[in-house]
Amino acid sequence: MNDSVYWNPILEKMPREKLRQLQLKKFREIFTWAYGHSKFYHKLYSDAGIEPGDLKKFEDIKKVPKMEKSMMRSVQGPGKDNFPYGDILCVPLEQVTDYRQTSGTTGQPIYQADTWQDWELGTEAYCYAMWAQGYRPGDRLFLPFGYNIFIAFWAYHYAGEKIGCEVIPGGVLNTEARILKIQELRATAMGATPTYILGMAETARGMGIDPPKDLSIRKITVAGEPGGSVPATRKRMEDAWGAKVYDQVGSTEIGHWGWQCTHQAGLHVNEAMYLIEIEDVNTGELIEEPGRRGKMVVTTFGRMAQPCIRFDVKDLIQWNARQCDCGRTFRLLEGGIQGRADDITKVKGVLLSPLAIEEVVRNIPQLGNEYQVVVIKKGDIDDITLKVEILPEYQKDEAAIKAKLTDQLRLTTNLGYNIEFHPYESLPRSQTKSRRFQDQRPH
Amino acid sequence: MNQEYDMKSMVTKIKALRRNAESLKEIAGDFPTVTKNCDRILADVRMLEININDAAEVMGK
Repeated sequence: MNDSVYWNPILEKMPREKLRQLQLKKFREIFTWAYGHSKFYHKLYSDAGIEPGDLKKFEDIKKVPKMEKSMMRSVQGPGKDNFPYGDILCVPLEQVTDYRQTSGTTGQPIYQADTWQDWELGTEAYCYAMWAQGYRPGDRLFLPFGYNIFIAFWAYHYAGEKIGCEVIPGGVLNTEARILKIQELRATAMGATPTYILGMAETARGMGIDPPKDLSIRKITVAGEPGGSVPATRKRMEDAWGAKVYDQVGSTEIGHWGWQCTHQAGLHVNEAMYLIEIEDVNTGELIEEPGRRGKMVVTTFGRMAQPCIRFDVKDLIQWNARQCDCGRTFRLLEGGIQGRADDITKVKGVLLSPLAIEEVVRNIPQLGNEYQVVVIKKGDIDDITLKVEILPEYQKDEAAIKAKLTDQLRLTTNLGYNIEFHPYESLPRSQTKSRRFQDQRPH
Repeated sequence: MNQEYDMKSMVTKIKALRRNAESLKEIAGDFPTVTKNCDRILADVRMLEININDAAEVMGK
């Protein structure tokens, strides 16, 4: 049995200066490929006056124009070449073996093409994550999820197989049936969104099943929404299941670029397969030093059908100053994805990140997992309401809980809230990811 | 466990894998099971190249 801590001991402990050289080599390769095979990319780069020969040193990378979702949308869809992918596609259509799309919550979905090799690349990236999280042959993975037209958890399945785990696809079952199947088959690990992990635990308890005692799940990978890197949310999930919970981040357009290892010190970036740059939100200057938050710009190395090159993700991240005790030279992010640049909003003149509210709510054990935040305008003034559920056994403590919530929210977000208590299990639940922050102000 | 890895030999064998799969595909002509399985093999060879050969190149091995 292979007892290496690392999926790839060479790359994961590569000295930083060598990793930089590797990144430059790979960036040049994908840039040259896209420049030569995609009308979209060729035009983008020609218009900017940049061509492959111009990339001589690492610092030249920032001269390459960024791309955004809106640009991809503009070249895709009905009436466009290489339907539905548009002229961003770099391979003949007949080489595309896998279609996925984004959720479309921010507009028309992005259509994502992958060749079989690209699909293997995504799987390989996920192997780095799962091996770092302790998945090994002998693990029995349960996927409580109907993976489908979206990218979520397909790679967890394929990487699980590649590592040598046994994979149980639990998609068509309802939540109760999934819990019973986990119990029956003694599954040891799961992959799901934080919302669903918490929801499943609630359902299990309602069935008289105590997950830490009655089920054998001992490790969980969460993805799809923040939560795995929100300490209070992770603790809730770990306490609810008696399992270690690890965050993993990725997206349809990018792939699976970041993950926690067993040390849970932050999100490692897979710097052998992805280039993550952090850009100051206001000035556009690249941020190299730890501790300064900025916008993420990502390049995926080696994804051939529909490359992702300097993609402006608008997620907010910052480098962590420490090197993880696991020994990897892949850098850590501090606090995971800290929000989205377009989620950070001003309420009563104060900048607010919705994730800050999650940390407060989930740190109060007398409150249920679900909550909602609603912002409206009353005349000229912003009004913000937090809706929470008190667990039934703590109803009598409502006044004290309200006082604690008010204090913690003021401390963390600098804002005062209307606090509404709702009956337990009355707020909406989701099987995938939840949209808890509702800004209803006219824009 | 600290283990020395023979990168040079791995690189050589990975290159041989690619050559063999490509030449097998070439001689197969339009034999579907051969060409399609070769495509799968070559996709995984690419993973080996990404993981080993590219690393060896920057490390000078």
